[in-house]
Amino acid sequence: MRAAIVAACLTLVGITPTLAGRADDTLVIAIEGEIPTLDHLYTTARDTIVVSELTDDGLFYVDPDTLAYVPLAAESYTQIDDTTIDVTIRPGVRFHDGSTLTADDVVYTFNWVIDPATNTNRGRLIANWLDRVERLGPMSVRFHLKHPYPLAIRDMAFSVQLRKAGAYQGTEGKPDPTAQALTLNGVGPYKVTNFQPGKSVTLTRFEDYYAASPKGRPAIKTIIFRTIPDLSTQQAELVSGKVDWMYNVPADVAANIGATGYAVHLTGPTLRINFIPLDAAGLTGADNPLTKRDVRRAMIHAINRPDIVKYLVQGDAEVINSACHPLQFGCEQDVHKYAYDPAEARRLLAKAGYPDGFEFEFWAYRERQVAEAIAADLAKVGIRARLRFVTLTTLNQARKKHRVPAFFASWESGSTADTATIAETHWSMKSDRNLAQDVFVAQRMEAAAKTIDRAERQRLYSEALRRIAEEAYWIPLYTYSQDYLVSKDLAYPVPKDGLPRLFRAHWRAAKAS
Amino acid sequence: MLRYASKRVVLAILVALAVSFAAFLLLSVATDPAAAIAGEGAEPEVIEHIREQLGLNRPLLVQYGSWLLSVFRGDFGTSYYWHQPVGTLIVQHLPVTLTLALSAIFVTLIVAIPLGTIAALYPNSLIDRLALGLAVAAQAMPSFWLALILIILLGVMLPIFPISGDATALNYVLPAIVLGAHSVPAVMRLTRVGVMDVMASDYIRTARAKGFYGYRLLWRQVMRNALLPVVSVLSVQLGYKLGGSVVTETVFAMNGLGRFALQSIVGGDIPTVQMLVVLFAMTFIGLTLLADLLNAWLDPRIRLA
Repeated sequence: MRAAIVAACLTLVGITPTLAGRADDTLVIAIEGEIPTLDHLYTTARDTIVVSELTDDGLFYVDPDTLAYVPLAAESYTQIDDTTIDVTIRPGVRFHDGSTLTADDVVYTFNWVIDPATNTNRGRLIANWLDRVERLGPMSVRFHLKHPYPLAIRDMAFSVQLRKAGAYQGTEGKPDPTAQALTLNGVGPYKVTNFQPGKSVTLTRFEDYYAASPKGRPAIKTIIFRTIPDLSTQQAELVSGKVDWMYNVPADVAANIGATGYAVHLTGPTLRINFIPLDAAGLTGADNPLTKRDVRRAMIHAINRPDIVKYLVQGDAEVINSACHPLQFGCEQDVHKYAYDPAEARRLLAKAGYPDGFEFEFWAYRERQVAEAIAADLAKVGIRARLRFVTLTTLNQARKKHRVPAFFASWESGSTADTATIAETHWSMKSDRNLAQDVFVAQRMEAAAKTIDRAERQRLYSEALRRIAEEAYWIPLYTYSQDYLVSKDLAYPVPKDGLPRLFRAHWRAAKAS
Repeated sequence: MLRYASKRVVLAILVALAVSFAAFLLLSVATDPAAAIAGEGAEPEVIEHIREQLGLNRPLLVQYGSWLLSVFRGDFGTSYYWHQPVGTLIVQHLPVTLTLALSAIFVTLIVAIPLGTIAALYPNSLIDRLALGLAVAAQAMPSFWLALILIILLGVMLPIFPISGDATALNYVLPAIVLGAHSVPAVMRLTRVGVMDVMASDYIRTARAKGFYGYRLLWRQVMRNALLPVVSVLSVQLGYKLGGSVVTETVFAMNGLGRFALQSIVGGDIPTVQMLVVLFAMTFIGLTLLADLLNAWLDPRIRLA
């Protein structure tokens, strides 16, 4: 609402925006969240990951156009067998302090990450599959896996940013996990020149960045991230020419501002999806109506997903039918589909013994307006959803105690285009997010997560996803779009996974006066 | 006077301890910092490991006692969320909020006291009605709305002031107006009523009979007594601005204690929230004490009581 007011006022007064940051070759980024630390190994905050894409490199890289994994600080790799991967390090990769990346640094980094005492954010994830890393030579290492793991390269690309050997060596010989929090020594295309936590980060192009990097040499010399929590203030700064780029803009607001001509509205996909797991296993009570397949199917038929996407979510969002993102590897699309059909929903409810509907608790922690629209659609066929809008922490705690029959869920998959990243968290028999507790599904999902063979993985996911749709364990809702507002002076290639790579931005050629 | 002040200080510390304990209990019940640190979707073993590492699996009283001992030793702990010592973080954020709060109080004073006084001197006149109308409008305006209007008018259309950040003195102008405007109605009304009451009192009539008029009468006889309740209100308002400037700091992207506290609460950062609660409690208690002492200075009868 406030954002709309700003857009309307700007249109009415006919402001002429001033020049953006091209003049001093400084790209100013407005972010909503805080950057608590520079060290991506110690946070999953989205904005820190965006900064980390600039300051850090891992051994591998996700090409934002193809979503394929390609060597980055690594020159090449060889899958020796299902549990052994050899990696050759690219020569000439330098840390920001000028030292050269070697096998010792890679071994140190991975050992630090998998050591439970160091408490890195993704340490447990990596330690689940990585047994040890061995130095084969000055520029080559061998990864010994505990079991076959198809996402090993993905984890090396997303979750392990390379650190100089001894980077966490604190005073008096004691390891210090906060050592890289304020002053980071990475190998990325930009180095940190100023960091004020919660306020701003200033990055300067690293002139010794290796030429062969698939990230390429950045065009813009300086990038400043500024925390501006209020979206309206971000917009005002953008049209005033003091900010060049912002993201996570609601689609309608982005379209409004884009239409005024003060900024360019860009949109692209993300790998986030929304869905509603239903208590098919009867965790909240054996006589729970949601344990009946016809009831669950009726619920999907009752929700007008196309209209929710068209009028509430907007942008490039799309209705999904399968329990994953269509861009993800293994995301079977040939599954049972449920059209919006209230009459069919009523018929199924009657068949299941609920001609007058029933009441259930519907938990949600985000996008209240969508949750309310869903509740309203369900009410039209007699299903009375008592909406419990809570914080994520409260929802997590309640779900652990089996008090949640259905919840409005969202999953981003860590920007990974592979069904494994949504499957393992939601369908494992150990996961409290798994309200279906279907052994058939769990076995296939777990098997696929430990299989290297792509065709076999695809087959396993296909079987599991078809079963999920057939049994209506989830109400699949929609994908998201990522909406950006950028300065007219800036060219910004939109990634396919919604994770901004600002090293690809460059200024448009200035118009001749 | 010294004995009285000492007693109040000891009482203040006890109240702060009670508040910190209550906050500790409530935070422990309401949030799971281990889960917050582990992140969304973390496995239970990871959460348990973090809980163990941070000593969160100990009884609550033991945790509180351990925290208290550390505080007395000058160790305020390390933030789970910011990965830095809590004391350092508070020192970093305090100047922004302090400057903003004092600037806002300054705005309140320069608007509310002259307006309230003039309104009282000319009751039911056009200026009185205008002043009261302004007070009603200021009270009805939500802070975020006023902020938005000021941003559009004075930040975008007429780019006089910066609209985000806290780097320069100019950055504080718009936020100070927004935060200060919120206190104008209360202070203005109190000033008006206070001045009217004093002006109608016998001793003012006597003072007039003795030949006191104009500025001398107003400043030396009227204002000292009329402003007594205003001082108390201002001290509370300053405390409110120090602890409750979240909206203003958020809209103007100022990195002060308000926004810092909010982010720490959302991040389940118990060591930071604990220290902030104590700090805010001590601020309110200290300001109340200061107001009492100021009142005693302004009115000798209080000192004798």
